[in-house]
Amino acid sequence: MVSFIAGLLDATVQAATVLLLAGMGELISERAGVLNLGVEGMMLVGALGGFITTVLTGSHWLGFGVGILLGMVLALVHAFLCITLKSNQVISGVMLTLLGTGLTTFFGSGWVEESIDGFPQILFPLVGQYLVGIPVIGEALFRSTATDYLALGLLVVVWYFLHHSNLGLEMIAVGEDPEMADTMGVSVFRLRYLAVLIGGGFAGAAGAHLSLAFSQLWVPGMTAGRGWIAVALVIFAQWRPRRMLVGAYLFGLLDALRIRSQSISLTVGPDAPLAGVINPVVEFLMTPQIMGTYPYLATIIVLAYAVIRTKSDQLAVPSALLQSYSRETD
Amino acid sequence: MNVAVNVDAREDIPAWLAYGTPVFTVLAALAVSAIALVVLDVNPVAAYRTMFVETLVTEFGLSETLTKAIPLILTGLAVYLPLKAGLFNIGAEGQLVAGALAGTWIGLNVSLPGLALIPLMFVAAAVAGGIWAGIPAYLRAKWDVNEIITSLLLTFVALEIQSYLLRGPMQGGTGNFPQSDRFSEAATIPELFGGVHAGLLAALCMVVVTYVLMTRTRLGFEITFVGSNDEAAQQAGMSKFYVYLLVFVVGGAFAAMGGISEIAGAQGRYRAGFEPGYGFTAIPVALLGRNSAFKVMLAGLFFAVLFVGGSSMEVAFGVPAALVEIIQALVILFLITAEFFKSYRVGIDLKRGPAETPAQPQRGDD
Repeated sequence: MVSFIAGLLDATVQAATVLLLAGMGELISERAGVLNLGVEGMMLVGALGGFITTVLTGSHWLGFGVGILLGMVLALVHAFLCITLKSNQVISGVMLTLLGTGLTTFFGSGWVEESIDGFPQILFPLVGQYLVGIPVIGEALFRSTATDYLALGLLVVVWYFLHHSNLGLEMIAVGEDPEMADTMGVSVFRLRYLAVLIGGGFAGAAGAHLSLAFSQLWVPGMTAGRGWIAVALVIFAQWRPRRMLVGAYLFGLLDALRIRSQSISLTVGPDAPLAGVINPVVEFLMTPQIMGTYPYLATIIVLAYAVIRTKSDQLAVPSALLQSYSRETD
Repeated sequence: MNVAVNVDAREDIPAWLAYGTPVFTVLAALAVSAIALVVLDVNPVAAYRTMFVETLVTEFGLSETLTKAIPLILTGLAVYLPLKAGLFNIGAEGQLVAGALAGTWIGLNVSLPGLALIPLMFVAAAVAGGIWAGIPAYLRAKWDVNEIITSLLLTFVALEIQSYLLRGPMQGGTGNFPQSDRFSEAATIPELFGGVHAGLLAALCMVVVTYVLMTRTRLGFEITFVGSNDEAAQQAGMSKFYVYLLVFVVGGAFAAMGGISEIAGAQGRYRAGFEPGYGFTAIPVALLGRNSAFKVMLAGLFFAVLFVGGSSMEVAFGVPAALVEIIQALVILFLITAEFFKSYRVGIDLKRGPAETPAQPQRGDD
């Protein structure tokens, strides 16, 4: 049981990193007022680009960097369409997911058989050698890939950047009230471009982590909807970095559980009261596919509940999300 | 020298731009996609000839195209109708799946003669698709919960449930494949002509129904009014709640009919992953044809040609059919770019020096 939980935690950390990286990017972009439904496409481009680079050069970090860069290239298209051309963000985002999926399936078909040694599992710097011995959680938390640690570190950076730096606060202002921000001398265009590009970079990084650390191979469509979960995660976290950490690990745990759910039994004994009712229900709820619906359902419920119950300041959905901005006069 | 770009709002759209946009868009998308073919060392002219000519001149290609067009037209309408009311349904894929599952269940478990069974399957599908679309619609109409996000997320819920049912309760008897049993004769949509099943009639009927609804009825006027200015519409005594619910539920029912006709007409059994993203292709279909239901139909036919042509290109040249997805994305890309040029006039001024500041005195020794 202990080894099972340890293994589950290990898989949770890996799955959570993918969601955390993609989610952070989406969060930044949305906070500046631009919804990015192209995450899935950007992740795929990052995953394939990172994989090919690593196969060709043997360097994981170079691959990771190329993944980030390619995510940003797609994000630049999104930024140009949504910010400069004032196009509909939803259409542009769906288009980029289509484009990313199409391009990577088209050009990636020859790379399916390639294999790489992914990012190695390393001890957490400095304190890892002491903490790795902690029962159950030690191995999972303190012997991971460098990108797992990086994602957690970046979360702190993103949290600090958004809520405690001038640039971050300006970004939030741009997402809340672009007219006001513009009046105060903040460049709406520049900050939105920046936010969307950072978002694309994070999505590319999430994809590269997926192919270089999580699966260590390339398969077309390998993101398997994780980009959409990242979009859901931001809503679930109600646009707050700290809640996103909780959400990413929760959704990551679900992801890990559904892969391993066959080997767990949570059913009660046949003699227990109501066993005939409880056991089929539990078995149904633990089916991998049914577990796959939980992140989406939870997000819809959280969104609906929050909108119905709270005032908009508690929900923190950026007021200018989905709105393009243009100056009324010159 | 200084280059200044002037962007002014256009007062009216020139006719050549309004009518030419869909054509330019498609041609530009094909031209840019040709780069991908060249990179893979395939002659784009030959590839496109295979893709379009063979699809349009062979009997097999034509019947395949018409068959593929059925779900594309219906899901296209499922996006088009809410779009007219100012709502975005990007969950047509989920509504299609939910409807196809419900219709399949009836088809496999109810024994009736075909004349009664097939309409019953369509009704069951439409109800399921309507409910699936009704959830985001109700949340939007009643509480202002963003319908884009909820309809999208429900798509993934539907896909997971599909996967569950086809590996569990609805899985067919033989083998380990995620697919249902074959439909009986009575549950199979009969052939109309040359390999095209009668679902085509359903699609055409819905195009006509939508066209009449939008152009000839008071309700259609209300939908357009709510879509262009919901506050004014409410002041004029129209119910936004009712309109929002209606366009989404009817749209969901359309998408669901597309799903069940594909399953019971073209596939003969429910296979997991039978839908190559019809519900997402519906977005460019609805955008290309956003002016009328008949244009949605034409756009659906065009994308059907792309899908069928993509497969023949794959067979002939060994090039992944994913090129179709690239073309689709580029069609959207150029369409929304053209949208910008429709609403704004862009002029480039070449001026000598900064216009507003007085000329700097020149140094003599330069």
